[in-house]
Formats: sequence, structure tokens, C-alpha cells
Amino acid sequence: MRKSNFWGLLFVSPFILGCLVFFVFPVGFSAYISLTKWDMFNPPQFIGLKNWVNALKDPVFWIAFRNVFYFALIFVPIQTILALIIAYLLNQKIRFKGLYRVIYFLPVVTPWVAGATIWKFIYRYENGLLNYFLRLIGLNGSYWFDSEKWWVAIGSLAIMNVWKGLGQSMVMFLAGLQNVPSDVIEAAEIDGANRHQIFRKIVVPIISPMVFLVMIMSTISAFTAFDVFLTMFDIFSLPVRNSIVNLMVYREAFLYGKMGPASAMAWILFIIILVITMLQKQFEKRWVHYDS
Amino acid sequence: MKKKLFSVVLIITLVASLLAGCKTKDNNPSSTSDTKTDVSQTEKTEEKEPEPPKPITISLGLPGGYDVTNEEIIKGFQDAYPHITLDIDEAPWGDFTKKIMTQIAGGNAPDVWFQENAAVIGYGAKGAAEDLKPFIDRDLNIDEYVVSTLLSAEVNGKVFGVPHGGNPIALAYNKKLFDEANVPYPTDDWTYEDMIEAAKLLTRDTDGDGKTDVWGFLVGGGITDGWFPWIKSAGGQALDETKTQAVFNDEKSLKGITEWVNMIHTYKVSPTLSAMREMQGARQMFGNGLGAMMFLQYSLGETVLNKNYPDLDYDTVKIPLGFDGGRTVPNVGNTWLIFSKAKPENKEAAWTFLKYYLSADVQKTVASSGSTIPVNKEALTYVESLSFKPLNKKAYTEGIAEGGVTLDENKCWNEWRTAAQPIFNEILEAKVDPAEGLDYIQKEVQKVLDEHYK
Repeated sequence: MRKSNFWGLLFVSPFILGCLVFFVFPVGFSAYISLTKWDMFNPPQFIGLKNWVNALKDPVFWIAFRNVFYFALIFVPIQTILALIIAYLLNQKIRFKGLYRVIYFLPVVTPWVAGATIWKFIYRYENGLLNYFLRLIGLNGSYWFDSEKWWVAIGSLAIMNVWKGLGQSMVMFLAGLQNVPSDVIEAAEIDGANRHQIFRKIVVPIISPMVFLVMIMSTISAFTAFDVFLTMFDIFSLPVRNSIVNLMVYREAFLYGKMGPASAMAWILFIIILVITMLQKQFEKRWVHYDS
Repeated sequence: MKKKLFSVVLIITLVASLLAGCKTKDNNPSSTSDTKTDVSQTEKTEEKEPEPPKPITISLGLPGGYDVTNEEIIKGFQDAYPHITLDIDEAPWGDFTKKIMTQIAGGNAPDVWFQENAAVIGYGAKGAAEDLKPFIDRDLNIDEYVVSTLLSAEVNGKVFGVPHGGNPIALAYNKKLFDEANVPYPTDDWTYEDMIEAAKLLTRDTDGDGKTDVWGFLVGGGITDGWFPWIKSAGGQALDETKTQAVFNDEKSLKGITEWVNMIHTYKVSPTLSAMREMQGARQMFGNGLGAMMFLQYSLGETVLNKNYPDLDYDTVKIPLGFDGGRTVPNVGNTWLIFSKAKPENKEAAWTFLKYYLSADVQKTVASSGSTIPVNKEALTYVESLSFKPLNKKAYTEGIAEGGVTLDENKCWNEWRTAAQPIFNEILEAKVDPAEGLDYIQKEVQKVLDEHYK
């Protein structure tokens, strides 16, 4: 080995070691555990694909997937579009710009438990803020996160998740908007383009790589969302209709001590996220414009 | 001849004392059932001062920290046993129960800690909790304790833990609301029928707007104060005696559950679950004088009602006699356990701590907190003299003695309970018919039980 290689490897070895211990090993170990029956105390017993088959045959697991897909379907577009609009507005020459940015970013640093308390107040049936306004305009109000209809319950949590994640996406878009050359905008203005046309025809194409990134990140975050469900739903009395894959993984692993089924479910979820991300990547060339 | 006889006696005494010495060093508690006799023999034969015990450090897990376990007890133990140093591992309850799983997996769990009784039974089934039966047989006089509580973690003759304390339920009533409605206070002789009839009289629309303002009874939706006592009230069961078969769908259980649902939807003496949630739950409604009666767990009296509603004039009586004439008092508790992978000397020191915890004086300290019912009978008498509300603590102490039961806890309790609870919620909200719901629960719970026991 060349001397320079040796020193190079030596210097990166802490990172490589960390990666091996904290990433490669857990991933490999969880794949192995998904093929076993393991109670976290006695040695794992190899049972082949039983956990995978059981998970795929379990109707509750598919209900949980339906819910996560639905959650992502609401969360990803709303979050992406809203964050983009807010970022664009906050990139204009307006007063108190910094203050607005802080306000929109605040939910990101708000603990989930605190956020859940506020949203439970908003979503309450009798004295909730949302129903209060609905009743003001003559509507009946509704049950939201505690609705009997799964699509209302999951949908209301998706909206809550938008509130939490909006700031993060907004910051990413703001970073992207710094790359929009002002001379291009000025040229468009001279050519008579209005604000709407500038936004659609110039700004969005230029920051499309960032939009793509935000969409990928939001999709992953939707499929891995956990805290929002844990804080809003009661895990011990969760109706089947509101099942969520991550809650099932958590429950199997840390409440029941059944690491095998939990790992199998987590791997199936990973594979699905991977497929969706690859699909998104396939469509990337159609609408994402890179400088080169 | 005298010299020879003297030598023989001396040799016998020496051998006996050596054997006694060997026995006291044995770590296996089952082989030292006569330790006390051996020790006294040693003392007689050897006039030497006993060797000071070796210093040892054991780790002690305290979920909920000193909010749940009185700090005075820990300090008292350190003073009484200076050679045993306690390395306290405390964390908020939720965090503790999460991390303990990985600690057990890593073999570095505390030597002794406590958790929900059901969780401890689960650890016992996995082999993570030490069987304390030999220790109990060796060192405790079982007659000094409430046996049903002391042995709540017993499975097939093995005892995987000893109680941190019991938390039974009793019928709590608001005296002011009874006086206003001119209804006599409940008594220990009340039956469920009496309770329902009184609840009807106590349910009132005080401002004449057509809506109920004061409810006669606040129905619990959970297991301890909800469906479990109601199933038992009619002589029904959740699981059979072996705890491996679900028996939710028998006629008696159906009768109990139907009455439970009737409280809201037929007799209309209790608000719906969602209405109670809006009002922050049954305890808050009771505290605010919006409900006249409820099943109240002992710990909630001191830690919730007395703390948040100091002026609330309430008391308790025993859980009413069931529709079948029997009385059943669900009693949940937390349980101390010793980690099976702890070193033998640490297990012995951990047991010393548990013995100390179960002693009458310490149990009185446990009782003073008001958060739990002690397991020691002497301390149980002491509870009755405590001056905080509810004043009639016999409703709990005698209630346990008369009809104390666990919540059919077994190694998969958490799992079958989680399978059953959402359906019970739907039954109570009248979204599912009780008979149909119980059939479904039966199927779901049996599926969980089969997975674990077949």
C-alpha cells in the first residue's frame, strides 16, 4: 500500500468505523432478524421468510399501507406547493421578512408533544377551534383526528404534518431561490411578463432541482412519519382502520418484544419507499432542469 | 476418657460450625431455607465477631424517578445497609420502559427495577426475570402480606417479582351532588343495580336547557375502571383460569358489557367517551362536579383529585356487589424484579433491598405517598389512619382482601389487551353491537393467545 493511501485511510477510518458500526451492521442485522423469531433476550431462532409472509398476508398491514399512501398523497403536494409559494413571497422585498421566516420555521423546532396538544385543541369536536369557525359560517363541524372515517382521521394528521414540515421545505426553497439570476427576472419584466408568468415560466424551472429534492424528501418523510401518529393516536386502542406501518413496527418491537415481525415490516416499508423514490427519479428528466 | 470425650465434642462442634459457615456462603436461596438456625448455631459455637459484609454496588432502576418511588425509602436503605451502594438508573416512565428493552437485550439491565406487573410476567416467560420464590420462601413470612397482591407475578409456581404497590379501584362519590339530589350516600352493601338506580336520580339538567349538566356516573372506557370490572360484575371473564383461553363471548360477559353500554346509551346516566374526552376525561369531570360517581383507582385520589381539586368533597365505598352477588376488585400494580443475568451476589443484595422495601416500616412510608396501597398487612392498617381523602380507605384495603383480582395478566397481556381495546371502544360508542363485538374480541384475543401458547 502506498504511504499516502495508508494515511488517507487512517484519517477516514473513524468515519468508516462509525458507518460500519452504526449503519452497515444494524441494516444487515435487521435483515437477518427479519428472518428469525427473536424476543431480545434469548438467541434468535431462524424461521426463514415466515415473518415476511405473515406481514404480507396480514390484512391490517395492508390497511396500514393504504393509510400511509393516503397520508403521503395529501402531505407531499400540499407541503411542496405551500412551501414554494411562501418561500417565493418571503423572497420578495417586504418588511419584517426575517420575522416571517422565523414564524414559518417555528413549528419545525416545536416538540411534537407540544404541537399535538395544540392540534388536539384545534381538532376537538365540541370546543375545537376549527369547528368553532365552521359553526360560525353555519356548518356542523366534524370529528377530525378521532373521526370514524379513516380518511378524515389520516387526512387531518397529514395537514398537521404539513404545519410541522413546512418551514424546513421553505428554507430549502429559499436557498434555491437565491440561485435565480436577477438579470433574467429583470429581462422578463422588460419583456412584459407579469409576476405569475415570471413565477411559472422562469422561477419554477430554475429551482426545479430543488423542487425535486423537496418532493423526494417529503415523500420519504411521509412514509417514515411516526411522531405525528404516536402523539395524536392512542397506540393501545388504535382501531384497525387507522393502522399505520410505523406504529405497527414500533408496537411489535418495543411493546411486544417481537423483533422479527417488526424488522420484516420495516424492510417491506423500505422496499416500497425505494421503489417510489426510483419512480420519482424516472420522471425527473421530464420536468427537472439542471444548469448543464 | 474425659479428655477423649471432650475432643470428640470439640470436633463435632467444629465440623458443625464449618458446615454452617459453608451454608451461609451459598448463594442459592433455595438451599438455605434454614439460614436463621445455622446463623444462630454459628453464633453459639464461634464467639468471634461476624465479618463485616463486603461492600457491593447494585444498579436500581426507577421508572418515573422519585415521583413514583419515595426518595426517603432509597435514603433509608442506604443508611440501613451502608455496604450496599445503590446506583440509581432513573428516567421518565415512558423513556425507561423503552430503553429497558434494549438494556435487557444487551444484558446490561439494572440488577433490580420495577415495571407493570404484566411486563414483569412477560420478562419471566423470556427468562429475564429471576424466580423469587426461593427468596420469598426463605425470608418472608407470607402471612404478613396480602397474598393475592404479593404473588401477583406468580406463574406456574414461579414468582417473577414482588409488588411495588397495588392500585385497586373503589366507587368514588361526590357528597355535594348526592346531597343536592337528596340521594343517600352509597354503602359497601350496594349492588350494581343500586348504583345504576342512584345514577338515574343523580343525572340532572340543572339549568333547564334540555341538556344534562350533572351525570350520575362517569363510565370508564379502559380496562381497569371500564370493561373489566363490568364483565366481572356479571360473573363473566376475559380469560379462563389458565390464562391461555379467551372467554369474552360467554353470556355473563355479554350481560356485564351490555349494562356497561346501557349506562351511556339506554339509562343515559353517563356522557359518551368523546364527550368525556372533550372535558379532559372522567377524573376532571368528577373533580369539576360534573359527575356524581365513578370507579376510582387509589393512586388517582391523592395524585389527581386531591392535588387539583382540594375542595372536592368526595369519599369512596367498595366496588358494588355484582349482578351475580359477588364482588370483584381489579387491582393493578407495578412489580419489582431482579434481572436474571445479574451476578449472584448482586441478586442477593437486590433481594436485601426488596426485603427492606416490603418491611412494615418502609411499607408505611410507601403508604404515606397515597400513590399506592402497600402489600404488608401492618402497613395496610396504617393506610386506614391516613388523613387525606378519600377518608374511607377501607373501600380499597378491604376491597382487595375481599375481591382483589389482577387484570388476567399473562405474558402477552399487552398484546391481547391492545387487540381488544379498540373494539371495546367501538362497543361503548354504540358503533358495534355488544354481542357482535365480543365475538370479534374473542377471535382476535384468542389469535394472540394461540400465537404465544400453542
